[in-house]
Amino acid sequence: MRIRLEHVTHAYAGSDESAAVQVLGDISLDIASGDFAVLMGASGSGKSTLLNLIGAVDKPTSGSIFLDDTETSALDDWRLTMLRRRSIGYIFQFFNLIPTLNVFENVAFPLSLANAPRSEVKSRVAEALTSVGLGKRATHYPNELSGGEMQRAAIARAIVHNPPLILADEPTGNLDSKNGEMILDLIRSIHKSRRPTIVMATHSERAAAYGDYVIEVADGRVSGVGDRESEQRPAISSVALPAQEPARAQDVLAPTPDPRTATPAT
Amino acid sequence: MILRALVLRPIFREPLRTTLTILGIAVGVAVVVAIALSNQSALRAFSESVDAVAGKANYQIVSDVAFSEDALRALQPFWPRGVRFAPVIDAEGIVEPSQEPIRLLGVDLLSDLHFRDYRYASVVTSGKESAATYLSLFGNDSVVIPATFAHDHSLRLGSPLILNIHGVQRTMIVRGLLEARGPATAFNGAIVIADLAVVQAAFGLAGRITRIDLIVPDESLIPEIQRVVPPSARLERPSRRNERVEKMLRAFRVNLFALAGVALLVGMFLVYNTVLISILRRAKDVGVLKTLGTSTSQVFASFVIEGLIFGAIGSVAGIALGRGLAWLILKLIGRTINALYINSTPEAIELTPGIIAAGIAVGTILSLLSAIQPSIEAAQLRPSLLLSGTVWRRQPRRQDQTQTSSPQRAQIVIAIVCFVIAVLLSRLPAWNGIAVAGYIAVLFVVAGFSALAALIVTGASRLLRAPYRAAFGIVGELASASIPASLRRTSIASAALSLAIGMMVAVALMVGSFRETVRVWVDQTVSSDLWLRPAKGLSNADSALFPNAISADLAKIPFIAAFDRARGRGVLYNDDRVLLASGDFAVAARFGDLPMIAPGRSSEALRNAIAKNGVVVSESFSLKYNKGVGDNITLPTIHGPRSFPITGVYRDYSNDRGVVAMDRGLFIHSFDDDAISTVVIYLKPGIDRDTARRSLEATLGPKYHAFAVTNGEIRGEVMKIFDQTFLITYALLAVAIVVAVLGVINTLAALILERKRELALLRVLGMTVVQVRRMLVLESSVLGLTSTAAGLAMGYVLSWILIYVINKQSFGWTIAFHTPVRLIATSLAVTFAASLVAGLVPSRLARRIDLAMAMKAE
Repeated sequence: MRIRLEHVTHAYAGSDESAAVQVLGDISLDIASGDFAVLMGASGSGKSTLLNLIGAVDKPTSGSIFLDDTETSALDDWRLTMLRRRSIGYIFQFFNLIPTLNVFENVAFPLSLANAPRSEVKSRVAEALTSVGLGKRATHYPNELSGGEMQRAAIARAIVHNPPLILADEPTGNLDSKNGEMILDLIRSIHKSRRPTIVMATHSERAAAYGDYVIEVADGRVSGVGDRESEQRPAISSVALPAQEPARAQDVLAPTPDPRTATPAT
Repeated sequence: MILRALVLRPIFREPLRTTLTILGIAVGVAVVVAIALSNQSALRAFSESVDAVAGKANYQIVSDVAFSEDALRALQPFWPRGVRFAPVIDAEGIVEPSQEPIRLLGVDLLSDLHFRDYRYASVVTSGKESAATYLSLFGNDSVVIPATFAHDHSLRLGSPLILNIHGVQRTMIVRGLLEARGPATAFNGAIVIADLAVVQAAFGLAGRITRIDLIVPDESLIPEIQRVVPPSARLERPSRRNERVEKMLRAFRVNLFALAGVALLVGMFLVYNTVLISILRRAKDVGVLKTLGTSTSQVFASFVIEGLIFGAIGSVAGIALGRGLAWLILKLIGRTINALYINSTPEAIELTPGIIAAGIAVGTILSLLSAIQPSIEAAQLRPSLLLSGTVWRRQPRRQDQTQTSSPQRAQIVIAIVCFVIAVLLSRLPAWNGIAVAGYIAVLFVVAGFSALAALIVTGASRLLRAPYRAAFGIVGELASASIPASLRRTSIASAALSLAIGMMVAVALMVGSFRETVRVWVDQTVSSDLWLRPAKGLSNADSALFPNAISADLAKIPFIAAFDRARGRGVLYNDDRVLLASGDFAVAARFGDLPMIAPGRSSEALRNAIAKNGVVVSESFSLKYNKGVGDNITLPTIHGPRSFPITGVYRDYSNDRGVVAMDRGLFIHSFDDDAISTVVIYLKPGIDRDTARRSLEATLGPKYHAFAVTNGEIRGEVMKIFDQTFLITYALLAVAIVVAVLGVINTLAALILERKRELALLRVLGMTVVQVRRMLVLESSVLGLTSTAAGLAMGYVLSWILIYVINKQSFGWTIAFHTPVRLIATSLAVTFAASLVAGLVPSRLARRIDLAMAMKAE
């Protein structure tokens, strides 16, 4: 799924207009279908907000967002819900499993919402759970799982309906380094085998190394892009850069560490 | 600062929670205030009437029957010693043709000036400026009425006014109007005053009076005065009458307060729930404050102050609300009190400082009590626990977990202990005529069910999970799983709703059983063909009477097989006012069928009564005074106190004070009263009732103002009075349900606010707003179904106590158990629907959740 942002700004409303907090400023961005892009930046840089805008969880204050040819910023609530339900898989820092459902039911959730036939739900959930190594934990409840297992269950939920777009917000932020690495390997292997577009927000360089390229976010602006394989790079711009025509990524290249040689994030 | 952070700011920032909490307390307080106000008003109306009529008298010589005015002569020696006395005839009657009840006061207008303050608005004068101006008041057909009464009935000076007193009908002329003060205000102005001699002459009471009012300046004279009191009369203070009325109404009032208590108890659950939820929601803030050095007692004090603030505001709102509610209740209980106890028109509602203080105390103390336990919990938690966010996390249980955990075992043990105590309490006798142990047993049953609330919620939700999944898909499954996951919040809301539903079911069962019992009883008792009455309604039965002369006319009517002349009046027994009834026992023994407790056949009891100059008594009398067949009771008669043997005990639901019935011959001999309130007529075989009725009305109607009614009409009227009596009961229960539904709204709203993140997650994962709302309404339905099931079970247990313990001890009635299926099914459907509405209201909050904000990492 291709992602395009055109002159997107975002502000959180304050008590009056002057108190509004500008979080993102005039961002244009083009991520090609099948890319594994990493949004990297410090806490409060605006990367999670950017992820929310891409994921149709939030709407921009101005500008347009396109997923493939659909302008999501113009969709009504019901269409946005359907888009999230069918086309996007989410992976969160705090796993966000539904505590009242067991692992199987959690993973089956997107399929249940889409009223998929029972047999299909069964086989697809089993396949997703096997692919994340949780085949034997299907009847367990979230509070009976370790952090790593919870995140694997959340990943299974994100892929079970085979969405063309997967968004991951600090997926290793709440895990130890060993489990973090395991999760990143899993996401990488999913990207390899299913080829969805993946956008992952992280502040860890170690995690960023798993993506195809990095989009650096600082102070609500996209300040630079580094690619791992030079053929794949997105078009980006922000107020810091010349507007109108999105600048090419190579204009603001930044070196990206090789995941195999980098030290694990703590 | 701590108070501001923990309490004051959240109060203003969460207006919904604040409003619901205050409303919950307010409704509870309102019910109590309203009942106190209406009780006070109904009683005050009566006692003010008594005071107004008694005037300045500090003693009265009173009798249940008219006595000879010779008693006045015996009082003459006391006049020089400062004792003042005035003879009075105080009689109930009706105004024709409107048949409104009226009080006729016959006084000696001259000697009466010592006692009562008459201020004339206008009088008929002869036109001459002389002392004779007022003499027309003493004319042999003159009456004086309050100006207000005249205005209401379009009467003027010179207007005729037809009075029917003790069956004697006379046309009087209005010759004076009184200003609305003193006696003119008694009985809400429905009073007619005439000269004593005029009343004696006009209504066949020559030489007799019913009361002597006394002003006794020195208490030491009382023993001497006592000695000259006629045998059928007694000397007492006017206030004694009020005390008796108060005593008579006590069981009725206690029952009303018990029902108000239910609403308050439900309100208390609500306050407890709200305070608990609000504290749980601020757990993190508490953690931060404690980490920064806030002491346990400071946290505790903050939350207790919050309870106080809510209690105080809720109480003030409740008092205002209660005043409005009192007006409504007064309309309902006024009718009951008039129908069953005394004739009195309730006056305006007066908010006394006592009631205001009581209302504020009830609301504040209860909300304070409700706040204490959760405040202690919050204050005692360790800051590290609070900060980590692991405390109070929604705790799902494994579905296959079948073993009972230790808190669950404790809950079961508590419930069993409560139920056992309830059973033991229900076996205790009444205390002072009030079923105290019975009421406490009800509390223990409620406590037992409340202890089981968490288990019931968990169990019912588990049972509902599969059907909900089948019917509503993943939305249904999430809903059924969500309620037990927030057990601490939901189980209290469920307990409150169960309690309200339980009480509603219990009262419906009791009233339904009672109604069915009364219906069967009326069918058996009202077996005659026709009733002849001097007034259309039943409610003014004591006021309208036939003269005995009607007997001769009835005897001449060919199609009548037999007739039974009934007459009832109040009489003092053991210083209680009981109903003394009389009838032609020989006729009743042959034609009637009184439902008996002992002996088996009514004819045997009635014939024995005739033979032994005895009486039959009602079940309530028998239970109240512990008297049965073979015992003797002493009643005051015109010949002084006389003893009567009891020859039978019969079932009666017309009166909870107790009824003593005697043969008409004995009654006339003992009380010198031959008036008739109702004639029960048995027709000869083959006579058509309608034809007989028309013929009777044509023959006797003009002469005696007689109405013939069929037994079907009498039955209908009895049931109508019955239903009116219980209207207040239903009204109070409806209030309890409203309070409980508020509790559910409050709980669900709090849960939604707390679950913002979870709901946002569901929305992000693809749930539509409609689906989220549906889920929340389904959650409410789980709560509703659970509470309905628990309430139904509780209701059956409570109804058993109400019917066999409280009712029996308070009123002395045996009631056969009967389930009014339609009534209960309708009530349950209504409460279930209300619980769904309770889910709809907070589900609107779901639309307002900002996904991006809610999904922000903690």
